Amino acid sequence: MTDSQDSRSQLAERRGLDPEVYQPAEDSGLLAEAAVDSLSEPEVVLEVGTGSGWVAEQVATETSARVIGSDLNPHACRQARNRGVEAVRADLLAPFAADAFDAVLFNPPYLPTDPDNEWDDWMEHALSGGEDGRRLIVPFLKDVGRVLAPGGEVYLLVSSLTGYDIVVELAEDAGFSVDEVVQESYPFEVLSILRLQPV
Amino acid sequence: MKESLMEILCCPIDKHDLELDVETRDDEEILEGTLTCTECGESYPIEDGIPNLLPPDMRDEAAA
Repeated sequence: MTDSQDSRSQLAERRGLDPEVYQPAEDSGLLAEAAVDSLSEPEVVLEVGTGSGWVAEQVATETSARVIGSDLNPHACRQARNRGVEAVRADLLAPFAADAFDAVLFNPPYLPTDPDNEWDDWMEHALSGGEDGRRLIVPFLKDVGRVLAPGGEVYLLVSSLTGYDIVVELAEDAGFSVDEVVQESYPFEVLSILRLQPV
Repeated sequence: MKESLMEILCCPIDKHDLELDVETRDDEEILEGTLTCTECGESYPIEDGIPNLLPPDMRDEAAA
């Protein structure tokens, strides 16, 4: 561990933050609210990159759905499980069966990050979307249609920092119709929840 | 993990079905065990109730 990593995690601890697992913030609230308000009687829901498991827990509490949470980070999987979320350690959608879900939710790591500035720990995985902010959005969109049941839909959080128009275009190219369910402005970005439905 | 999760999971490499081998379970869940791909034979551990379905080359605890 380098000095800068060390001081970063000490700083996080002093501020009462978990240095290893992304904790619920404005984006989480927006995604949970959009999913709860817009989903119509989903039976099985997947939250990709569930982190602390908070969004998955909200959806499980507010709807009748069975909610699965997946994450690359083993610490996140444990936190989600401790909230009562069925946790699976996974790389995006790789281990999920075809047609398995009525809805898939994803608040991706989206901050554009200079490769020379990446800090190489779990929090970076939770925040950094690579140089263009779309490192995980691209492979997610390529594969998500496979796991959706007929009539299924995707709820994807997009920040203005990630290139809204480009993400919409990527989703359309992947075979989805796109509409925006909610949009909120914050001091440094605009957050939107896109609903994607297979065309 | 609940046994009914088997319907939702597949091998991350070739998408074939997995076979469940239970070591420890409680009333609701499988706590320890192994999932093995019926096609390629790759096996995936279930630890503390969480199936680890990362492909072998991504399985290390390290962040990167």
